[in-house]
Amino acid sequence: MPKCTINGKEVEVKDGQTIMEAFKKADEPIAHYCYHPGLSVAGVCRLCICDIEGNPRPQIACNTTVTEGMKVSTKSDKVKEGVKWVLDFHLINHPLDCPICDQAGECGLQEQYMAFGKYEPEMAEKKVKKHKVVDLGPTVVLDSERCILCSRCVRFTEEVSKTNELGIFNRGDRSEIGCVEGKSLDNKYSLNTVDICPVGALTSKDFRFKQRVWYLKDSDTVCNGCSTGCNVKVYFNKEGMFRVKPVHNEQVNGYWMCDEGRNIYQFANKENRFEKGIKKLGGASLETMLPGALAKELHQLVKSGKDQTAVVLTGQYTSEEYDSFIGTLSKEFGIKKVYHWNQNEKQMGDFDGLLIRGDKNPNTKGLLKVFEKHQIKTEWQDLEKSLESKSIKNLIVAGPENLSVFADMDSKLALFSKAENLIWLGAAKVEALTSDSGKVKNKNIFVIPLKSFVEKEGTFVNHSGLEQKFKKATTILHETLTLTEVAILFAGKNLTLPSAVEKPAFVESQRRSDQVQLEHRKKNEFVFKRGTL
Amino acid sequence: MSIVQNSAQKSKWYLPGVIGGLGITMKHLLKNLISKKSMQTINYPEEKYEYGPRFKGNHILTVKKDGSLRCTACMLCATNCPAECIKITASENPDPKVEKFPISYEIDILRCVFCGFCEEACPVDAIRLGPEWQTPGLSGSNFTYDINHLAYRPALKGGIQSHVDDEERHKEGI
Ligand code: SF4
Ligand code: SF4
Ligand code: SF4
Ligand code: SF4
Ligand code: FES
Repeated sequence: MPKCTINGKEVEVKDGQTIMEAFKKADEPIAHYCYHPGLSVAGVCRLCICDIEGNPRPQIACNTTVTEGMKVSTKSDKVKEGVKWVLDFHLINHPLDCPICDQAGECGLQEQYMAFGKYEPEMAEKKVKKHKVVDLGPTVVLDSERCILCSRCVRFTEEVSKTNELGIFNRGDRSEIGCVEGKSLDNKYSLNTVDICPVGALTSKDFRFKQRVWYLKDSDTVCNGCSTGCNVKVYFNKEGMFRVKPVHNEQVNGYWMCDEGRNIYQFANKENRFEKGIKKLGGASLETMLPGALAKELHQLVKSGKDQTAVVLTGQYTSEEYDSFIGTLSKEFGIKKVYHWNQNEKQMGDFDGLLIRGDKNPNTKGLLKVFEKHQIKTEWQDLEKSLESKSIKNLIVAGPENLSVFADMDSKLALFSKAENLIWLGAAKVEALTSDSGKVKNKNIFVIPLKSFVEKEGTFVNHSGLEQKFKKATTILHETLTLTEVAILFAGKNLTLPSAVEKPAFVESQRRSDQVQLEHRKKNEFVFKRGTL
Repeated sequence: MSIVQNSAQKSKWYLPGVIGGLGITMKHLLKNLISKKSMQTINYPEEKYEYGPRFKGNHILTVKKDGSLRCTACMLCATNCPAECIKITASENPDPKVEKFPISYEIDILRCVFCGFCEEACPVDAIRLGPEWQTPGLSGSNFTYDINHLAYRPALKGGIQSHVDDEERHKEGI
């Protein structure tokens, strides 16, 4: 365990760690592009130079191992001058497209230039023109002029996705990133290259030109795309959600996430959601109402038919919601017929070796745990049988949020059609429920829109049993409910709104001494107590 | 107890003030009769005042030689606008040399304070504040100006070209 001094701070690192890691540990800033903690060391950008005491020339921090008693600094004029020139070399052929570059605002070049830039370029030659708007594959677009050849993307396809699609072609200032002959950047993790590209050379087709990044707010949450439960950041503003990026968590996803998980923002957006409660009685036409009011109204229905009521739950909700939903319904009405709708029973154990798992629900483990807690042991076949024999009249279904992973939707809807009353809880807009397609044949249909995973807080238990708590990121639809709230309303109780202030802010003691007294105000009299004006 | 002080005592001194005011009015009347040129007012709307060339009136989106918009939809103007009245929707242009362009560009002119910050922010001289300032509308008319109005309204005679020439810039290698 060698000790070293970084800019005057003493830190101890593990054997074999580099100066770069010591800098990270000491929380000292150091310029760098090609170094990425999740990839091998390339040492190609030469931006991370630092002074090592006793060494006549600056060294690169990312590829130099720490030795005992090393004294490293980036504060000397020599290093500062060096970084400045290295940066200027990077910019010799850089187009400075910032106004139309999607990376602007979160660009490594911009950031480093603010800190170390030369600001007076001395380059008199013309810039080398390279390819722009190169289609690398179904998800990524390349702009060769912006690329600084840090080789992060190449190393990613080589080491992480192990698909080897990318390479650097040509030499010198004509070098360009490109796909190997006959291949295109088409793998399940391709969009990670966009994240790790420190400049705007690789951009995501999905996010391209949708928003400038400075208009977006972000918030950490857990991906609900599969049972891995990658830690992610969602980016949103008042127009909706726009993209998802991975957040580092060594235990779960490392630095990466899959491309499929990046689409989870879409089903949280307004256009893919039920916005209002919907009631369809008999053959009558649709009636929309506030979700809360509809849930309250259904209290009677659930109460009167409590022995003929069954609940179907998908693995898409938080543990807290399951607990209170099952708990409330069994306590209030004694409903114990709770079934688990598992859409991918056969692929449950699948794993691609990196992140993607066959169980496409974020919280199957959590649901099973809650079942255990409430001693619910039910079989799906029982539900099928009792629906067949019409012994179930009311069916409450907490449906999927992420429709794309529910391939058995149509067959399940046909099954659910056998109940007289279908109470559908869910965020995703299921067209079949409200259209006249004839797929859903229940006599009465009630739809209560729920909150999506970014609009509530809770816990997901991932495939390995790790409990991951997440907080609310934003609100997209204000009137929607959580399962917990639905349960309370079903039970005939009221939702109490937490009041922001305990006591009213305007209390007696805060009254100005010359305040007009209430009695006088009632009589519309103005009596000033200041004596003379 | 009253709030307003009774100034009945002072009120008889209003006459000198009134007469003084009248005097000033008469002075200007006589002056204007003698030399019409130095008159301070004009007969609006028959006569119109010529503002200086830097006057900031209604916006113009400039166009390229081929008549397409110069704007690259970088949204710097929208970011800089203190009234938040610019709304741009960007999209991918089929021409890779252009790459990004606005498919809609709207200015809510009633919110605009004509500060000219958008003009200053624009890196490609794509938006300018022009000389027009009389743009009334009947009730119900649309005060959200779109690309059609901003770049191609009849008064602009097919669009205003910027003096910054892209082709020359490209030849220079910038
Ligand atoms: S990569 Fe960075 S510096 Fe280069 S054009 Fe894009 S935002 Fe500007
Ligand atoms: S495309 Fe981006 S990540 Fe790849 S080498 Fe160029 S700058 Fe680095
Ligand atoms: S003139 Fe000022 S207020 Fe008006 S659009 Fe431009 S920046 Fe906004
Ligand atoms: S700043 Fe100029 S180029 Fe950018 S969006 Fe506004 S008008 Fe268009
Ligand atoms: S970060 Fe060390 S050489 Fe690039």
